[in-house]
Amino acid sequence: MTSLRRWCVVAVVAAVVVAAPLLPRLVPASASDVTAAELLSRVQASGDQAYSGYVETDGAVQLAVGDDFSDLAELFGDRLRLRVWWQDEDAWRVNRLLLSGEEDLVHDGERTTSYDYERARAVTSRDPDIRLPRTSDLVPPSMGRITTDGADADEVSRLPARRIAGVSAPGLRLEPASGQTTIDHVDLWADEETGLALRVEVYAGSSAPVLTTVFEEFSAAGPEPDQVADTWSGQVERDFDDTVDLADAANQYAPFRVPRRVAGLERRTAGTGAVGVYGTGVTRLIAVPLREGDADDLRESLLGSPAAVATDTGTLLAVGPVSVFLTSEGFSYVLAGTVTDETLLRAAEDIVAGVRLRGRFE
Amino acid sequence: MIRVELSKLLRSRRTWTTIALIDALPTLVGVLLAVTDLGPRPGEGPAFLSAVLTDGTLFPLAALAIVLPLFLPIAVSVTAGEAIAGEAAAGTLRYVLVRPVGRLRLLVAKLVAAMAFVVLTVLVVAATAYVVGVALLGDQSVQVVGSTSVSGTSLSTPELVGRTFLALGYAMLCMLGVAAIALFLSTVASSSLGAALGTMSIFVGSSLLLTLDASEAIRDYLPTRYWLAFVDLFRDPILWRDLQAGVILQVAYVAVFFAAAWANFATKDVTD
Amino acid sequence: MSRDTAIRTQGLTKYFGRFEAVSDLSLDVREGDVYGFLGANGSGKTTTVRMLLGLVLATSGEIEVLGRPMPRSGREVLPHVGSMIEGPAAYAHLSGRANLTLFDAMAPRSRRTGRKDRVEETLDRVGLGGVDERPVKNYSLGMRQRLGLAAALLRKPRLLVLDEPTNGLDPQGIRDIRALLLELNADGTTVFVSSHLLAEIEQLCTRVGVLDRGRMVVQEELAVLRAPTGRILLGTPDPDAAIAQLDRLGRSVEQHDGRRLAVRAADAAELNAELVRAGIGVDELSVERRSLEDVVLAATSAGNDTFARPPRAVQDAS
Repeated sequence: MTSLRRWCVVAVVAAVVVAAPLLPRLVPASASDVTAAELLSRVQASGDQAYSGYVETDGAVQLAVGDDFSDLAELFGDRLRLRVWWQDEDAWRVNRLLLSGEEDLVHDGERTTSYDYERARAVTSRDPDIRLPRTSDLVPPSMGRITTDGADADEVSRLPARRIAGVSAPGLRLEPASGQTTIDHVDLWADEETGLALRVEVYAGSSAPVLTTVFEEFSAAGPEPDQVADTWSGQVERDFDDTVDLADAANQYAPFRVPRRVAGLERRTAGTGAVGVYGTGVTRLIAVPLREGDADDLRESLLGSPAAVATDTGTLLAVGPVSVFLTSEGFSYVLAGTVTDETLLRAAEDIVAGVRLRGRFE
Repeated sequence: MIRVELSKLLRSRRTWTTIALIDALPTLVGVLLAVTDLGPRPGEGPAFLSAVLTDGTLFPLAALAIVLPLFLPIAVSVTAGEAIAGEAAAGTLRYVLVRPVGRLRLLVAKLVAAMAFVVLTVLVVAATAYVVGVALLGDQSVQVVGSTSVSGTSLSTPELVGRTFLALGYAMLCMLGVAAIALFLSTVASSSLGAALGTMSIFVGSSLLLTLDASEAIRDYLPTRYWLAFVDLFRDPILWRDLQAGVILQVAYVAVFFAAAWANFATKDVTD
Repeated sequence: MSRDTAIRTQGLTKYFGRFEAVSDLSLDVREGDVYGFLGANGSGKTTTVRMLLGLVLATSGEIEVLGRPMPRSGREVLPHVGSMIEGPAAYAHLSGRANLTLFDAMAPRSRRTGRKDRVEETLDRVGLGGVDERPVKNYSLGMRQRLGLAAALLRKPRLLVLDEPTNGLDPQGIRDIRALLLELNADGTTVFVSSHLLAEIEQLCTRVGVLDRGRMVVQEELAVLRAPTGRILLGTPDPDAAIAQLDRLGRSVEQHDGRRLAVRAADAAELNAELVRAGIGVDELSVERRSLEDVVLAATSAGNDTFARPPRAVQDAS
């Protein structure tokens, strides 16, 4: 064999090994005639569909919000690798893979246990009324439900089907009618039968999505019972915490009561807590009271960003689709959400004006 | 020929010196940990290292995580980079070829010898680390049955041993990929140093590219992409995804670069 | 010629890039020959030797070694060929014994049985039988040369191809090697020696090929090359009387250098008798033969490592 022929063999081998992983992408997705409205309602109702899979997310929102909220910043600003086992809303496990460890969330009825390998610790808490976003909100089916929450049939249109993790998935585009959100549109592709979203892309103006979450592996078969059960070994330190996160703690213990309505958005929760989540779908904001020290830290972090604006009433920072506002008059409230600056400022005014002391101070 | 190469490998004092040097680092780390009782903060340092203070039986894995990113690939680059270029420089290549030893057979023997070096090194490192771990850091499995997986579930001792050996095997395969690249460069470069440095620059470059978002498109083709995936063996359930991809990737690298080595060497004029 | 050919090449040509190292070379070595391959440094000897052994691939031309095409039949041919190319080489951290053992084990279908004996026997043959276990890196140049020869002889080859085999040897070593090669040849081994040393080839070889800038300029039996010139060289204490007498006899004295004369004559004994009869003493008498040096110098141009500037006459003229 001549030298040239041998190099041809090498070139062929190289071409084959480079091309082989790309081949599955060439399999076309089969078209579907499901209507946009039908697909929307299936996505919204997919909460109790069982599935399991491997998810990769890619967030482009760089929130400069300080150490207290660093977990949150990671969720929307980093790449995450997640494994999910979902039986139904009451029984699931979401496993965040780290390079040399992992963090687990295991949900069992009314309780959620978060486990951290590096600390060898598992902390259980009851499900709160209000909490900050967590990894389980980022898996495509959850993301699909959150973004389409409250959406009407006239806000959605069909997109061509795509093949995602081997499943041919019809697409849906949501263009929110509300002028209050910063989200331009959300594209999602869902399993036609179960309505489980398999890929969700959130767009805010630019051509690249600000958040993508997609199944790289997907199985519509539910997990084995022991995969969503509490199986930590004796070497893991067990603990119980009566608050899940900062928002939950503030909601339970801060002596305030937020108004029922801010900037024209309804409060989502019925309770009488100090924390308010307002709006639906992608038009959503949260208002959390902070202690003075925490507020000062946050203000410093916000002002560290060149995009921060100090107004008469507080500090405003808009990063991509997310706006954060920290009030400086009255009680310190931080408001954050995927709403326009104008909406956020109005909401802040309404909070400052409408917040009441509660409990023994009432 | 394979037997000849192995015999040369085992009789070379340099082989053993290299292994001893590679072995020295994790051993030193183990001793320091035991003496100072200062583990790295959780989430920092090489994989498993924060866990070894409580469970010495995990130290072989921590040792692997210490040597795998840099030490081991350097040693493999040097050993395999010498394969053809070193023989050529010493003048022995022409005498080997007129023995006659077929050129393909010589390449296979060289790759096998490089692999033997990897196996030997990994086993020595793991064995030393096990002894150091159990002797100095304590053996948790004596008190509690089994160890803890990365996912927090219990691993029985047989499970731990099985998975540890799988991890060692995986690391060896990754090094085989390095050896194949070095072997190819060894047929191209006129000095073994050049081949070794070339190989090192490939995996250092690959590690660097992995940290860049801009290299997203070629990420999955980079040789070091899945090197640390052996950690996934200690999750519960085992995450096979990256391991499978890593095995396929390394096999592809071995195939392509071995084929390239053959293509280049089979009719190369041997003039040294 | 009834003897089989040991090495035959036809139109052998090798280019390194655009440099033509060997050009249209036709070698013809027969079994039983001690063939001397002469050429200045850089004339393409080593490249040719490497092509014979399949180390360097010819650009064009055919090679046949021991009746089989090379390099295609290398697997069958090379086990019967022992070689030393451009000096010996061995694994420096191992002893000579260990090196030979490794080289023996490398060969295809090499048996483990008898390996130790083979190695010892070969060491004895090259005069290294008593060597200790010191690593080769502590060997002298001469010892390395002997070890290289031992490696070539290890499998009792039918053909020995040696490139500059006496490099670095002292006179005693050179004599030992020469004796060894002649002994091997007497036992039927064909020996192909390349060298730039005329004297070495002249003393050793039965057949000579001369290479000049990649081209074969002479290839002939040494005996033919060194044919008598038709002159007799004689020495006499009385040259004038001798010249006068020879003139009288009608013989032409072609050269006269002090007391030495070169005379055109066929029979030295007859010439001697004529002079002695005339009372002229003769104290030296020999048939003049062409020296190999004359042959080589006549056939070759300037040394191959001189690169004189080509004349620029053409440009200057215009």
